[in-house]
Amino acid sequence: MTGRAPTRDERWTALGLWLLAFLALWLTESAVGFTRDESVYFAAAEGYAGWFRQLFHAPARALTDAAIVRGWDYNHEHPALMKTLFGLSHLLFHDTLGWMRSATAFRLPAFALAALVPALSFLFGSALYGRTAGLFAALAFMLVPRQYFNSELACFDVPVAAFWLLVVYCFWRALEDVKWGLWCGVAFGLALATKHNALFLPFVLTPFALWRAWTASEASAEARAWLLRFVGLFAAVAVFYGLLVLSLGGADGFQRGFLLLSPHTLLFVGLAAGGTWLLKGAEQVSAPVTRALVPIAAMAVLGPVLFYLHWPYLWHHPVDRTAWYLAFHAKHNHYAWFYLGTLLREPPFPLTYVLVKTALTVPTSLFAPMVTGILALGARVALSQFERTRGWVTRPVTLAEALVGVNAVTSILIISHPQVPHFGGVKHWFPSMVFLGLLAGEAVVRGCAALWERLETRWTALPWPAVAAPVFAVLLAPALVYSAHVFPYGTAAYSELAGGAAGAATLGMQRQFWSSHVTGVLPWINEHAKPGARLFLHEVHGGSFRDYQRNGMLREDLRAVGSPAEADIVAYQYHQEFREHEFLTWQAFGTRTPTMGLYLDETPQVVVYVRPEAR
Amino acid sequence: MRSPSLTRALPLLELGGLLLVALLCLLFHLRQPSRMPAEADYRALVEQLRAEGRPGDAVLLFPWWTERARLFVPPELPVYGYLGSDHDDLSAHPRVWVLGQPELPRSDEAAFLKDFLPERRALGETRHAGTLTLALYENGRYRPRRFVATESVDRARVYLEEPGGARQACRFDGKAHRCPGPPHLYVAPEWHEIFYEPRRCLWMHAPGGAQRLVTELDGVPGGVDLRLEGGIIFEFAHMKEARLTTAYLGVDDAATGDNLLEVAIAPGREGVQSAQVRLPEGPPRTVKVWVRSENPDRRQVCLDVLALEPAVGTRR
Repeated sequence: MTGRAPTRDERWTALGLWLLAFLALWLTESAVGFTRDESVYFAAAEGYAGWFRQLFHAPARALTDAAIVRGWDYNHEHPALMKTLFGLSHLLFHDTLGWMRSATAFRLPAFALAALVPALSFLFGSALYGRTAGLFAALAFMLVPRQYFNSELACFDVPVAAFWLLVVYCFWRALEDVKWGLWCGVAFGLALATKHNALFLPFVLTPFALWRAWTASEASAEARAWLLRFVGLFAAVAVFYGLLVLSLGGADGFQRGFLLLSPHTLLFVGLAAGGTWLLKGAEQVSAPVTRALVPIAAMAVLGPVLFYLHWPYLWHHPVDRTAWYLAFHAKHNHYAWFYLGTLLREPPFPLTYVLVKTALTVPTSLFAPMVTGILALGARVALSQFERTRGWVTRPVTLAEALVGVNAVTSILIISHPQVPHFGGVKHWFPSMVFLGLLAGEAVVRGCAALWERLETRWTALPWPAVAAPVFAVLLAPALVYSAHVFPYGTAAYSELAGGAAGAATLGMQRQFWSSHVTGVLPWINEHAKPGARLFLHEVHGGSFRDYQRNGMLREDLRAVGSPAEADIVAYQYHQEFREHEFLTWQAFGTRTPTMGLYLDETPQVVVYVRPEAR
Repeated sequence: MRSPSLTRALPLLELGGLLLVALLCLLFHLRQPSRMPAEADYRALVEQLRAEGRPGDAVLLFPWWTERARLFVPPELPVYGYLGSDHDDLSAHPRVWVLGQPELPRSDEAAFLKDFLPERRALGETRHAGTLTLALYENGRYRPRRFVATESVDRARVYLEEPGGARQACRFDGKAHRCPGPPHLYVAPEWHEIFYEPRRCLWMHAPGGAQRLVTELDGVPGGVDLRLEGGIIFEFAHMKEARLTTAYLGVDDAATGDNLLEVAIAPGREGVQSAQVRLPEGPPRTVKVWVRSENPDRRQVCLDVLALEPAVGTRR
């Protein structure tokens, strides 16, 4: 099946799911602390919004490189789409209208993007496997505690997962409706403007496009010829770019020579113009071939263009600054990470890390159908390969199912590479989780259908929901219970398979990270700290300290200090790699006895010490 | 062809498995509260610790990470709970109280006891309060201390020593012996982490080059084991860059100049390193505890020197 449009009912349900997720995130966000990255993005967003003010009042000055650098230099290691949305939302809803607290205004666009995941999962899942599967996928995504926690944050990991899903959805729709090919390009541009994960998307989708075009052109030599010309154009451009790199003495020379009027630009324009001409030609002989190729051309052309246009920081120096951005992520440093009793500090990292971490963090009642879903798909693919077993497969694997399967494993495989940084919990492979949710939905529906069929022989009028609803309730209830239990301490969430937070501590897993759990001790500090007390909030970013005060979560009179030696109160965040900080507190305060702490299922998360004379 | 009944049965089997997993998960969550101790449970056991604890006793946590207990245990009783503490000899303590939570998910009491029990003997019954357990053990690995450098350092003479013997004295300011040069060149007892273990040890940062930082201590008795224990603290230990150099820690006899103990800690070597020698019977002696490293960068050494009697063993 390729590219079915949703029905009216499905659209309304998707809208309902979007609204439900958006409101749930909005209503619960105030409990979620500010992660280290988030406060950086808050500050960046405010700076970017300031530039937009300047653009409104003095456009000529705002468009100079000096003004752009002033406004956009901060945190230029990430593209600006989400931070721009955070900043504009803050400017409108907090600064101008005063409708909400500062942090909520920053986070609002993140909720909107995160809510897109259940909505799109439903649409995609409904079309592929039926509405029940779509609904299960939608609910399952939001009931994974770490996914829900990350959805609350003004960060990029859930938004890029949403855009990844959107790109794949547009691609799939494009196979039946050519205008979705252009939307695929737009969505890809937005994904690139969100986070660098999106760079892998063309590598995932192009084989599917070529496969589809190849099979669609089997009966038409002319269509096949246009397909080969299209491939030839892309290959030729790639070869010419390669030759340019060689002839200019490597990557540095290539970068230096990349000007507005240069062979580099000419090749890109040639690709855009040639690709368009070839697609026009293909359109005359085969609509399916054209529809398969349009998303590729759209991604190749619109992706870089939108990436450039969305980010003022690139406007005057697109090549050098893009090169810096890519190099930054290619050589990202490694943070210490506690895993199965060992502190991982540098590559090579364990090959099974991603699988194990997923198994130990995704609620087991959701993880199990993900596993059976992907195994069933893999089994169908494998059995279809051999004549003897082909008959066992009642439904051959479709292109759309293969698309889901490949996307379910792509991010996981990328992060599993032993040289790739392994910090950050599970957030770096969220794009895979979205598709694993779809496969879980399919697995659940497969079982429900079999059960319904069996029961229908006895109760002929048995409605489908009479089977699906109790199954949903049983499968989703543990995840809901655990989500509620662990909220808002998302980075400490461990599944039943791990034994919860306590079991994970015994297994030697990272207790928590990103510092946001400090909210568990702030009320106590507000109540007990002496006026003007000096506070060392270990691991809490200086910007977060300011944000807690700005949002009324920390008393204004409390002062941030940088070490236990200077502090009256220390809130130590339990990290295996930072044990020294707690012992320095013992040294500075002359006591090993904490005053209070945040303990989740007995696991120390944040431990508070008060200098004896300051009590 | 696969049989049609199998084709129909597989999805049902799959659904049954999924539902079973989900029900077990629900059961796990329903059982969770009953596996966690209440504050009152801690308080009840701590009352017993207060009543029966003796100076020199220690509290060991099981599982090692259950440090919430620190909130309740009287400050005079040292609490041990760190990654690896199950194996700790706790040789400074004749008796050990094990404060356990065997009901916690994945708690493996048998594995804990396998590491903990050798050379130890239970004294009395295990007490229970809610899910908490408290058991007292005689520690056969206890080694009476006749000398501890961290406890004697106030009376020490500290100096920087050149290979030729020239010295620069480090002035004692009531808390630390501060040496000429960068501010980290001082000697004082401090709490630091060596491979996750909290240790009260002598901060002795290597000065660099061939120079040695020396702490001269009097009163080390004869007829005991002289033991040097030390390591590179915190995250500085794991680094292996080529520019880093081995840190050498040692103990010399001040009178004869003989080297009694020496430990070399190469870059990347984590954990407490130790060396031990039997001192002959005789009058108390003065020892020179020293540290050096060609490149002082990332060579934050913390060490202790102990004069120990043999392990007492358990009384049967």
